[in-house]
Amino acid sequence: MEAAKEQKSVYLREFEAMPATGETWLDDLRRRAMADFERQGFPHRRIEAWKNANLASLAQQHFPPAAPGADIDGYLRKLTESVPDALRMVFVDGHFSARHSDLTDLPEGLRMVSLAEAFEAGDVTTDAHFGRHADTGEHPFAALSTAFARDGALIELAPGTIVERPVVLHYFTSEGGAGMASYPRLLVHAGTGSEVRLVEHHAGVADEPYLTCPVSEIVVDDNAGVRLQHLQESGNGAWHLGVVHVELGRDARFGMHAFSGGARFGRTDVYVNLNGSGAQASLNGLYMVSSGQFADYHTWVRHRTDHGSSEQYFKGVLDGKAESVFDGLIHVAKGAQQTDSQQQNRNLLLSPRATAHSNPRLEIYADDVKCGHGSTVGELDADALFYLRSRGLGEREARRLLIFAFANETLDSMTAPELRDHVEARLANWLDDDRAGGSG
Amino acid sequence: MAMLEIRNLHVSVGGEEILKGIDLAVDVGEVHAIMGPNGSGKSTLAKVLAGHDGYEVTQGEVLYEGEDLLELEPEERARKGVFLGFQYPVEIPGVANTYFLKAAVNAIRKHRGEGEIDAMEFLKHIREKMKLVKMDDALLKRPVNEGFSGGEKKRNEVFQMAVLEPKFAILDETDSGLDIDALRTVAEGVNVMRTPERGFLLITHYQRLLNYIQPDRVHVLLDGRVVKSGDKTLAEELEKSGYALFEDNAA
Repeated sequence: MEAAKEQKSVYLREFEAMPATGETWLDDLRRRAMADFERQGFPHRRIEAWKNANLASLAQQHFPPAAPGADIDGYLRKLTESVPDALRMVFVDGHFSARHSDLTDLPEGLRMVSLAEAFEAGDVTTDAHFGRHADTGEHPFAALSTAFARDGALIELAPGTIVERPVVLHYFTSEGGAGMASYPRLLVHAGTGSEVRLVEHHAGVADEPYLTCPVSEIVVDDNAGVRLQHLQESGNGAWHLGVVHVELGRDARFGMHAFSGGARFGRTDVYVNLNGSGAQASLNGLYMVSSGQFADYHTWVRHRTDHGSSEQYFKGVLDGKAESVFDGLIHVAKGAQQTDSQQQNRNLLLSPRATAHSNPRLEIYADDVKCGHGSTVGELDADALFYLRSRGLGEREARRLLIFAFANETLDSMTAPELRDHVEARLANWLDDDRAGGSG
Repeated sequence: MAMLEIRNLHVSVGGEEILKGIDLAVDVGEVHAIMGPNGSGKSTLAKVLAGHDGYEVTQGEVLYEGEDLLELEPEERARKGVFLGFQYPVEIPGVANTYFLKAAVNAIRKHRGEGEIDAMEFLKHIREKMKLVKMDDALLKRPVNEGFSGGEKKRNEVFQMAVLEPKFAILDETDSGLDIDALRTVAEGVNVMRTPERGFLLITHYQRLLNYIQPDRVHVLLDGRVVKSGDKTLAEELEKSGYALFEDNAA
């Protein structure tokens, strides 16, 4: 704990050295968030939500905020080709890069600006929503992010606005971002009856450790719909500790598909509050974890009122000495009658050294509800393997086919189907990396 | 020359001997039926021939076209033309039937030094075989056996056999649990494929199958041993008197 305390003071000193904005609400918010982080520090294993997380070496290294202006032109083409014809904002090391972004022909009713610009202009939406939802009191990395975030994306949909083109947010860590921290933010406010499809893409080239704490706050007003494709493809050395926080109004809809293949430590905490009657949430995902990697999805789905529905379906494939966590809460408040909530987590272990923690949590205080959950951790089905081989498929090919089939099923629910090829190719490459072979 | 020759085969599972010295030879172009009650070792024999690794061969040998079959991996056996129709076909979620079949066809073609099958040619080939087993088109696109009824699964086995055109097919209780229409379809699948170049080993629990497929030889398996072999009249004899007649021989 000594080391952690020392680290806290480094971040605090750094925070205190940053200039105030003069915007009282923002300066107050940041100070409170910093105090929240100071109080909590880097979480240790005695805290229930962090019991499987080994953050010792994160706490030992100091990651100062990354500077703007890194050059990523060489990678840009690959990033943008993945979703053509998108409205696009690119962030490099946490900073908005206008020249890499494409905000031409914004449809009427859609506003997309950088948060730095919005803070500068004293924007009212940011005042009302920025940092108001992600819980800095309970989540140390949400606190660190709110204290340090200086930029991000603000996306605002006027009531009734239907955005047909996908909105893509690339958060890119450059080579220069190694050893540094970035705190990219996303704030979405979807007005009543509006609809938008988002891609939140995290990628990095640095193999050395870096820290990124992306926090997304998504406010979906009555009868509006937001779909989010979340891609965690952070660099091999990354500490990726993110939060996605969603507030849903009456009949509001949120659909998320998450894919996680990067980072040495990749964790995304998803909070969804179903505040209005008939709200719907769907969270799906796939994590692919290799030796030395740790992948973690924590979800908190809170049904606060009646007739809400939610489904969660996460799958993981683990190889070598890999570790993963799925920890999913379904909370149904007293009075949230007629709730329909389902949760499934399935893990496939390709190696005896891999560990998958699967922890469904149900807290149900209403009596007229339909809730179900299931959780499995297993190896490849030996009967299926024999069946395939008995038809002539080689052992390697049979294993590969079964692993691919297991993982690929979750891609049916991708909210950005144009990225399916990208994810399938990643999966195929991963399998080519000799994971399908032998008895390993 | 015998296509398949089993000599003094002893097989154990978890230290318990299930097959206690089987001798059996199937000549090319012949159809043999093995009948026996529950626990006689029928399915063990089928799985050992297909290469399942849950069984330990403690004695004896199996020659397939003169080659030591037991030395081969399951996929090598399949590529050399051995087919097992499973008693309980396995469901494989996420793998479409057509994809699976194409992978199997190509694995066999590759073994023969042929290139991958042309997409149109493959489609034509499977459509033709589907007609033979009266299989519904929709089942092709569905994941292998997933959500199939018992009858559909068995039809799918015969369909796979028809598509893969093995030299030697072992059908493990493919007739069990089928209604008469499905049974006739399965039997027709076998009868159509019955050629002078191909051998069959039909493992069955019920004599009824043999009303539709005329075997060249019938073997009675009891307690891990072939206690009697004969022509098709042996099946009729069994139907009348039951296995009790042979139990003395087994003891």
